[in-house]
Amino acid sequence: MSVTEAAWVTADQIVEIAREVWGSFLSMDLEPVPDSGEPLARQTLTGVIHVSGGWQGTVFLETTADHAQAGAEAMFAAEPGSLSPEEVGDALGELTNMVGGNIKGLLPAPNKLSLPSVAGGESYTLRVPGALLVERVLLQGPAGPVRISLWRS
Amino acid sequence: MKILIVDDSKAMRMIVTRTLRQAGFDAHEYLEACDGAEGLAMVAAEKPDLVLSDWNMPEVTGIEFLQRLRADGNDVRFGFVTSESTDAMRALAADSGALFLIAKPFTADTFAEALSGVLVA
Repeated sequence: MSVTEAAWVTADQIVEIAREVWGSFLSMDLEPVPDSGEPLARQTLTGVIHVSGGWQGTVFLETTADHAQAGAEAMFAAEPGSLSPEEVGDALGELTNMVGGNIKGLLPAPNKLSLPSVAGGESYTLRVPGALLVERVLLQGPAGPVRISLWRS
Repeated sequence: MKILIVDDSKAMRMIVTRTLRQAGFDAHEYLEACDGAEGLAMVAAEKPDLVLSDWNMPEVTGIEFLQRLRADGNDVRFGFVTSESTDAMRALAADSGALFLIAKPFTADTFAEALSGVLVA
């Protein structure tokens, strides 16, 4: 699924970035899987980061609450269940920062990266008004799925 | 030696510290700051031997942090650890006085290579 425009960033590139980040910092392998667009789970967390300047858009990184928890525990080298919601959010924000920062490097310069935001809960919708979907990938890891989407404003 | 790690993510500060130890730099004292503003205060108070800083941070960004240090006449050894590593940013980092820029994600080998000649393992 993509808009008709120059392919600054491809799905394969997003997959490669995610696999490198998860492999390096979480020691988790991710594999791309078909994406039906259905909700990942009842409880999810979403990291959001914006690119502005030569290219305007947003990267969303959505995962299940369990996957976010497991990822944070890997990053903090923490015991299962020992982290606070703030620490889990911090870890997801940093994963979003790394994925977003690497995607930003592929986009037309000069551009700037925002600080990440993290939202979480049940059955919520996050959108950037007027933005069009450029690419979306779904990856499956040992701790659950992660969906990464790139939107053009 | 004192190493100051500056990043707005607590998780990333822990990962940088852990990776430094994995790279063999475990005989040093590690200090932390959560943004460039706190970094400036920590440099003044603790006089670290090396600063490892993120670029994209609230309050004072990493590049602003470095530029203020140099403007104040502080020549502390400084390197970036950042998710953004375009040629333009690497050039700006070097022109501003950074010794290196390590791109995230990184490995212990990446740190060992970047810090060889800067720190003794």
